[in-house]
This record gives sequence, C-alpha cells and structure tokens, in this order.
Amino acid sequence: MKVRLSPQTLLVLDAFLAQPEDWQYGYDLSRNTGLKSGTLYPILMRLAEHKLLDTAWEPADPGKPPRHMYRFTPEGLRFAREHPLARPSGSLGRVALSQILTHQGSI
Amino acid sequence: MGAPRQWAARLLGFVVRHAPARSRDWASAMLRELDFIEGDWAALYWALGSMAALIRHAASGWRSWFRGRIPNKEEPMNNFGKKALGVGSGIGLAFLLVLCAFGVQSLLEFIFPSLRQDHAMMTHAITMILIPEVTFVVAAIILWRKRTAVAAGILLFAIAAGAHVAFFLATHSHS
Repeated sequence: MKVRLSPQTLLVLDAFLAQPEDWQYGYDLSRNTGLKSGTLYPILMRLAEHKLLDTAWEPADPGKPPRHMYRFTPEGLRFAREHPLARPSGSLGRVALSQILTHQGSI
Repeated sequence: MGAPRQWAARLLGFVVRHAPARSRDWASAMLRELDFIEGDWAALYWALGSMAALIRHAASGWRSWFRGRIPNKEEPMNNFGKKALGVGSGIGLAFLLVLCAFGVQSLLEFIFPSLRQDHAMMTHAITMILIPEVTFVVAAIILWRKRTAVAAGILLFAIAAGAHVAFFLATHSHS
C-alpha cells in the first residue's frame, strides 16, 4: 500500500490507535495531535482515499448541522498496527515526533 | 460572534459553495468544526488552513486529470508533456516576478514622486531590469539540477526580456 508515512501521518495514526473503535472529530484530532487544519485534513483525505479511514456524518439534533467523524477501517487498523513506527499504545506524542524529526535530520 | 470568526465562516461558506464535488464533503466538515473551536482568531486560522488543504486537494485532482490526458504508453510524449509544463511554469513564474517588480516600482514612484521626475530611468533600470534579471539567473542556477525544465523556462524569459531591453536601448539611442 502506497501511503506516505510522514511524522505527522504517524501522529494521526497514533491518535486513532488511542481509541481505535471510536469515531473522532476533526477538531479533536487537531487538538490531540497539535496539527493545524492545513496539515491534518490532507492526511485524513489521503487515509480515506486509501480506504484506511471510514468517514461518516454524525446524526444531529433537528436544526443542527451534522458533524463529520472519522474512524479506522479494519484495514486501516491493521495497517497502523503493522507499521513499525506507529505505537500500538497510542502514546506517540510531541516528544516522540521531535525524536523522529531529529532522527530524520541526522540521517 | 467576533469579526475573525465571521470572516472564517464566510470564507469556508464560500469554499463549500464553490468547491469541486469531490472536495465538498470535506469543506462542509471543516466548516462544521468551526462551531467547536474556542477563540475567534483560532477559528480564522482554522479556516485559512482548511482552505489551503482544500486547494491542495483540488490541485491533486487536476494533476490526476492532467496525467490522465497524457497517454501513459507513450513515454516520450509523457516526458515531453512534463517538460513543456515545467518550461511553461518557469515562464509564468518569471512573468509573475516582473509583474511584482512593476508593482514595486509603481509603489515607489507613488510614495516618492521625485523618483519619477528626477530618476525615472535609473529606478526603471534597477527595479524592472537589474533585480529581475539577477533573480532569474540565480533561480535558474539553483533550480537547474532538480527542476531543469522550470529553470529553462526562467532563462528563456530572461533572454527574451534582455533582448527586449537591448532592442529598446538600441532604438532609443539612435533617435
């Protein structure tokens, strides 16, 4: 599968791995990963295009617009768990990201 | 609702209305999230970032469409198309720089009217000829190894602009 696994993509995968069964919202993902919308959404779009993420509109109360949600597909969950850099415990935070970036810079 | 949040909502509302079909759901999703963002300025930054993401998404669609238009089996044709696009981009970038230089020159003459009266020729030579030509050469050298076609486009424009200047000087020195 051809998915570009940047450190930011790993952060997103990790955020999903923290609650693999739950639907998550874009803004919550942005807060959890520290990624801006301009970085986060291209990653979500790419993962969804590769069928690694399910997307759905949350049923809302009458008069309120629905909210978009994201969750791993079974294939996405397998992909995230199989990838050696993605942490199965969902613990990849900013510190780990900086370590990855430093490691890449030193290669 | 503060002004930045209003601008953010307007911006994303505009994007939702005008986004291509494949991006519209994503644009709506980003617009919906605005209601949950604390802080007006954060909402505006969210909208700006979202717009950038949607532009990239739309651009990737156009790239796929453009690749689809170029026959895959004819590799030389494919390469030719890529090179032509690169040269065109180079020419376009160089043209944009000249337009910017023209804008800077007009602004300088507006702020300092004496420039237009006493040093018109010198201002024109520096902002419209010297700075752009030096920039073209430097950009072409930097880009040559990785983006040869773009660098060639920039150089092509630089040569054409240089020829234009030489022609102008030659005709005006005779008169």
